[in-house]
Amino acid sequence: MRNALTGVERALFLTLAFAAFAAAAVGLGARAFDHMASNYENARRGYAVVRVLAPEGPLGIAAAVAALESAPHVTSAEPMTAGRAAELLAQWGGSPVNAADIPALRLIEIDLAPAAPHTDISGDIVASLAQGGVTAQVIEAPDNASGGGLAARARTIALWASIGFALVMAVIISLGARGLAARRRELVTVMTDLGATRGQAAGRIADEAAILGLYAGLAGAALAAVIAIALLFVAMPGLSVESLRRMILPADLAPILAAPFVAAIAAGAGARAAAGYFHGQAARLG
Amino acid sequence: MARPYNPDLELFERGVFVRLTGVDAGYGPATVLVGVDFEIRSGEVAIITGPAAAGKTTLTHLLRLALTPRDGRAVILGVDTARATSSVRARVKRRIGYVGENPVFIEHWSAYDNIAMPLKLTGMKPAEYAHDVRELVDFVGLGGASDLAVEKLSGAERRRAALARALAAKPNLILADDPTAGMSPGDGRRIVRLLGEMRRVGAAVVIATQDETLADCAPMDRWRIERGRLTRVAEEAAAEAFE
Repeated sequence: MRNALTGVERALFLTLAFAAFAAAAVGLGARAFDHMASNYENARRGYAVVRVLAPEGPLGIAAAVAALESAPHVTSAEPMTAGRAAELLAQWGGSPVNAADIPALRLIEIDLAPAAPHTDISGDIVASLAQGGVTAQVIEAPDNASGGGLAARARTIALWASIGFALVMAVIISLGARGLAARRRELVTVMTDLGATRGQAAGRIADEAAILGLYAGLAGAALAAVIAIALLFVAMPGLSVESLRRMILPADLAPILAAPFVAAIAAGAGARAAAGYFHGQAARLG
Repeated sequence: MARPYNPDLELFERGVFVRLTGVDAGYGPATVLVGVDFEIRSGEVAIITGPAAAGKTTLTHLLRLALTPRDGRAVILGVDTARATSSVRARVKRRIGYVGENPVFIEHWSAYDNIAMPLKLTGMKPAEYAHDVRELVDFVGLGGASDLAVEKLSGAERRRAALARALAAKPNLILADDPTAGMSPGDGRRIVRLLGEMRRVGAAVVIATQDETLADCAPMDRWRIERGRLTRVAEEAAAEAFE
């Protein structure tokens, strides 16, 4: 096996492996971006503020907190203190805010459990508060402002960009495999002379290129996977193998699984086209 | 269901393996063969002699379907070559054994594997053709050299390997273009006698050469080509005369 690939074939193998690695790495990058966008969107949707309208004063807040404990979608409820408000205002406004300057607030921060799309979360919570004798308003992150909808668009762009990049790599692999067909031109000529059809001559070269592409794709994809896992462990201290397994979705494996097969198909197609051309040339002298 | 009438196929079934009628052929703007009429039947051997650049190699290219006629009609093994599809041409080529002036091999493959290639193309498995290939290797006198890579063979051994490969698929038509080039006279005559032997299995054999004395090796029709024009010199002598 050590000398199975020599000279040009080895260089071609490395080229195909690099292209497969690049495609798989970009695909994994797109999946990582997708995770981040998804987490951002979940964070936006997992938070809301309840503004208590009646009863007024600390009694109203206490009644609202009590009602929120049994309200649907709510996982935790915390009245907003002056200190917390000052911290948020400083974060949004950019300059320090004195907590003592902030009047008494009638706001409660709530964390929400993930809900099915088109669920009326605000309506459910307001109804639950009303049953507890509290009139309130629920303020959720808007869908079309402050980054609303941005994550979905970014995920779509990342997906198509990675597919586009993979297609470019497939074209590079295909062109590289044509070099293999050129190296096997002698074989195509002999086979043609002996009566091989275009399918027989081109098929043999295409099979060889497809196998080379498959192995190169496996090597490239494996390297991309190893680097991706190493980067995760570096970027997320304390990450365990078990939490990594929970974190990885089946869709995250798609670039790794697809790379060898796409590389094999692209290499086979490129070599087949070139060998078919050489067959046509060898078949006719005049 | 009755097979549609096909005069070309009928010609083949009557034993006429090649019929060229008024054929012109050439490369690019150059016309090499002019008005060639030629016919060979099953079990016949034809030797075509002529000086260098007379059109011998072009004629063998035409007969092995690497060239198509510019004018006239070439019916080879029951197929009009000008009208045949590429798959039909490939099928006909598989029934033609060709020994070229400079045989082309897969140089890093063994002679054995090169010789077996026509049989592989027919879909045979190595175990099915191993015996036949070994017999052929012995028949052409290649011996132990068959296991060497072709690039390591001498010129004469390459010729023998080319002959074995040409005969491997038991072709109907055998074409030999200058098959004795670079050989000793004795080896050359032996090769021509081997080619002549193929008449016994019903093949038609065409030998193109500059060496007119080779016509004495076996019973053959004698043809002469000069400046692309082919003429018949003599019909074959009785086979008994060569026994």
